Amino acid sequence: MRRTDLGAIVLFGAAALAPLVVRNAFLLDALILILLWGSLAVAWNVAGGYAGQVSLGHSAFFGLGAYAAALLGTRWDVSPWIGLIVGVALSTGAGLALGYLSNRLRGPYFVLATIAFSQVLLIVASRWRAFTQGSEGIPVPFRPGVWTLGFSDKTPWVYIMLALAVFAYLVQRYLEVSRLGYLLAAVREDEDAAQALGVPSRWLKVAAVAVSAALASVGGTLWAQYVGFVDPFYVFSVDLSVRFALAAIIGGVGTALGPFLGSILITTLETYLRATFGGIGAGFIGIYLIIYGTLLILVVRFVPEGLAGGLAARLVRRAPSTPA
Amino acid sequence: MAAALLSVGGVTKRFGGVVANLDVSFDVAPGELIGLIGPNGAGKSTLFEIITGFCQPDAGEVRLEGRRLAGLSPDRVSRLGVGRTFQKLRPFPGLTVVENVMVGALQKCHEVRRARQEAIEVLARVGLEDKADAHARTLSTGQRKRLELARALAARPRLLLLDEVTGGVDQRSIPGLVSLVRDLHRNGLTLIVIEHNMRVITAVCQRILALHLGQIIAEGPPAVVTRDPRVVEAYLGQVYGGSRR
Repeated sequence: MRRTDLGAIVLFGAAALAPLVVRNAFLLDALILILLWGSLAVAWNVAGGYAGQVSLGHSAFFGLGAYAAALLGTRWDVSPWIGLIVGVALSTGAGLALGYLSNRLRGPYFVLATIAFSQVLLIVASRWRAFTQGSEGIPVPFRPGVWTLGFSDKTPWVYIMLALAVFAYLVQRYLEVSRLGYLLAAVREDEDAAQALGVPSRWLKVAAVAVSAALASVGGTLWAQYVGFVDPFYVFSVDLSVRFALAAIIGGVGTALGPFLGSILITTLETYLRATFGGIGAGFIGIYLIIYGTLLILVVRFVPEGLAGGLAARLVRRAPSTPA
Repeated sequence: MAAALLSVGGVTKRFGGVVANLDVSFDVAPGELIGLIGPNGAGKSTLFEIITGFCQPDAGEVRLEGRRLAGLSPDRVSRLGVGRTFQKLRPFPGLTVVENVMVGALQKCHEVRRARQEAIEVLARVGLEDKADAHARTLSTGQRKRLELARALAARPRLLLLDEVTGGVDQRSIPGLVSLVRDLHRNGLTLIVIEHNMRVITAVCQRILALHLGQIIAEGPPAVVTRDPRVVEAYLGQVYGGSRR
């Protein structure tokens, strides 16, 4: 067992026990969001961290997942679980297309393509009034039951998000210890050298982006069902994409626990800011951008390998002094 | 004569107005160790790029055991058994030395634990086993060179293209690398080596190809090729006062 697994057991174990002890809805809401944004940071990390395909358009897949379930539910009365699967199918398809682009566009050009992709979806969702109700967004009706994902209590949501988080974590661990993971790391480190060793880099990049997209889509579906409203300007926003990336970068790019550590920091900060400044006016809420920026600079300056990496390095350095 | 393992026929490659390779043809028999020499810009590395699929020729073709390699991606060519090292070294900087080599080993071996074992064995052959857990970016140039060789070997190629094995390596390490190349050859590996160190190339190669301005100007045993007036001229320039073409 690795140290990161120990950290994960502590983290996820605490989350599993929390609803038994904590009754405060505000705190449980924060926990749900930490697990959700953490899983979405994982989704970003699979493409950006493990495969080296940096995207700032992952809100596209989040939005596809959110819309798929919301539209199917409100228009045809289909269960959000089916919506989740449809969203995954759509996002995987879109991910394959975008991943294919990554073989044509490298580095910053790929990043721009991902941003453009999410903005195209934003335009479609906000203008196609007849189908998506345009910029008004879609309220998700509350219907009690597991099949319809309607709960009067926060506890089931904690466990649903926890299941997503654990699954996301395991995907990353697989990418660290499996043959596939080593090949992917080679592609990230030096694509030409990887190809010279027989690594099918083109195919691997496409697959990584597709898996990443599918995971982001699941997060989008669950978020929409939890919050109960889909707003195109939120779900397809660059802000959201940046948040996924930021949580993973602050936590530690290409580490399994990092995205969750980043999510704890960012989600807590945001919840606090919203509670503190929320009432004053929309203009002032922009302060979180300043704080994100500052945070990013501090992390890059002092722990460039991210919270998970920095923590690990510190533990390793201390290791020899502890008695065996 | 046995059927050629590698057959290069009429390969031509232009970059804009620059001719990198012009009608280059040669065969490599299984088990041969061939040296590729020529002054800077002669087109040696381009030829490697073409054979390994990193670059497509404008004309001509490359065959591996009769199979055309045209249009195949570099990773396909590698999986068919053609390994290579890069002139400008390209280790995976964020991975450890053993992980670097494991990527090569994982081409044929699908089990991570066994790949690690194989990687350690290959590292021992190139004398890097004590560096196994170091990060690749911490290695010296000579060590990186050996790492690159180990990585290519771990993929168990049938044909290995080495781009400047001894270039940038300190003098003391050269004999070790030379004897390693000889060992590989003795164990049946077919090799093409680009090399500037004439002493090395005459010591290990049976046959030398000399490239100049993209064309093969001489071919044969080391003793003959290195004395060929065209080769001498290519390296040293024309004899002062001689007539210009």
